[in-house]
Amino acid sequence: MTIVDALFSAFAIPFMGRALVVMLVLAVVAGVVGVLVNLRGLEFISDGLTHAVFPGLAIGLAVGGASGLIPGAAIAALAGALALTWLDRAGVTSDAAIAIVLTAAFSIGVIVVSKSSDYAGELEALLFGRVLTIPPDQVLPLVAVSGVALVAVVVTLKQQLFRAFDARGSRAAGDSALVLDLVLNAAIALVVVAAASTVGTLLVLALLIVPGAVARLVTMRLWWLFPVAAGFAAVAAWLGLAAGFAVSVGAGVDVPAGATIVAVFVLGYALVLAVAQVAGWVRGSGVGRSGFEPLPPASDAPRPARTGARRPAAPLEHAARARRAGEER
Amino acid sequence: MTHSPVLRLTGAAFTHPGGAGVAGLDLEIGRGEAVALIGPNGAGKSTLLKGILGLVPRTAGTLELGGARASERPSHSRNGMVAFLPQSAELDADFPISLEQVVMQGRYRGLGLLRWPGRADRAAVAQALDRVGLAQLAKRPFGELSGGQRQRGLLARALASQPALLLLDEPFNGLDQANRDALVETLRQLKADGVAVLVSTHDLELARLVCDSVVLVNGTQLAHGPVDDVLTLGNVQECFEGVEVEIDEHTLVVPGHEGH
Repeated sequence: MTIVDALFSAFAIPFMGRALVVMLVLAVVAGVVGVLVNLRGLEFISDGLTHAVFPGLAIGLAVGGASGLIPGAAIAALAGALALTWLDRAGVTSDAAIAIVLTAAFSIGVIVVSKSSDYAGELEALLFGRVLTIPPDQVLPLVAVSGVALVAVVVTLKQQLFRAFDARGSRAAGDSALVLDLVLNAAIALVVVAAASTVGTLLVLALLIVPGAVARLVTMRLWWLFPVAAGFAAVAAWLGLAAGFAVSVGAGVDVPAGATIVAVFVLGYALVLAVAQVAGWVRGSGVGRSGFEPLPPASDAPRPARTGARRPAAPLEHAARARRAGEER
Repeated sequence: MTHSPVLRLTGAAFTHPGGAGVAGLDLEIGRGEAVALIGPNGAGKSTLLKGILGLVPRTAGTLELGGARASERPSHSRNGMVAFLPQSAELDADFPISLEQVVMQGRYRGLGLLRWPGRADRAAVAQALDRVGLAQLAKRPFGELSGGQRQRGLLARALASQPALLLLDEPFNGLDQANRDALVETLRQLKADGVAVLVSTHDLELARLVCDSVVLVNGTQLAHGPVDDVLTLGNVQECFEGVEVEIDEHTLVVPGHEGH
């Protein structure tokens, strides 16, 4: 098998073509939503939602078979979004509270799945996804779920960014924090639903978090974050599928495609991080806000430059920093 | 023909769900008037500002904006009349946003969800930046500006919404003389344009240079009137609850308090 076969010809095969369509749509939407997750520091809440979806997937599978996956996951995810939004506004959004919710949800899912006759097989499919075996009649629902998430975010995008930057200012300007949080958490939940059916619940988080973190490394221009994150996610999804195909068919090693996709996401992040470090060193100032962009010339007593030793933040560091920013819910 | 005051509080109280708050507020601010809000930390100054914005519930009295009574519940809308200048130190300096984009946020309330900024909005943003003297820094990342420039940038955001009432929370904290002078000049221009201003401050120079009257608060409204009548040593000592304070033409020195 040649590289061209893996990168292009493989996708002429129907199941690979379906996987590519779903993953490209999902990657673009997850990239856009993921930028907001990054800016708001909602990584751990997103993790909670990925686990909250698990019992929905399990119950959906038990009740309706494969066609019950998306409805089951959607109900569980939206219930999770409501619960986490409520916890957040009630002021009990401690990491412990989220951890309790997500582990409780996960245990319910495991109990439900354990009643299945094919316990191991079902569990593996739910945890690691089944991107290469997506039935043709599930492509449209997955694209639709992703589309709803994208529309929800795009319609509220100005206000979401305002809230991410200045929560109190956003509320003072008349924005409803409750509505904005519900919309964003629901959008995250819908991405989780679509992704859980493809890359599985354990790997969903990479799709939501890595593209936004990459975009923060690449650019400090607000509106460029979204195309950069979406573009990175789309390319990584394509290369991940191709890698999975090459390893499984070319090398004869059976590897879940969801895992290769996420591996490419993480490798991509590591590569961008390394390039950003080098770019910072070349400029002689370490890594600045973005590894690639020099600061504009100062013309009026700028605040002291960041220390040269500063390094770009890892995805979860952005979350911690955003929480420290004193955001008012 | 008489004009309704931009802001009128009558026997008003604002109380956080936890119980802390400020009460006994009787206050009017007309077009082109500025009022300084002075009191110790924890006196309820920020609670009063948040109450006017609708972010803290009003538990007594009435609040009128432009002659219309505001609802008693915390409201998400003040019909675009009120703008708020927070302390810039509260914002995340690492957020990837330019000064121009921050100022554009002042236009969002008028745009709603579906409309995006147009030519008129960009013109309003440019005008607001020009007014605070930061037009040449419009494209710079907000986090790379000095503290004073960020504060002026947030003032530009407030101005871009073209408010009738401007609320400022300790706007001079940490500013150098050049930025203080620029802020004072901008506030004077705003008054001349008919904007009503309510500013929480420890800076008596600001009160004397810009404000027409002063309100002393410490959990309740203690005094209200012209600057020189209210800012007496006795009044200020009563307001700061026996803490040894020094007061002269420009400064209020309160041991253990930030500000001037």
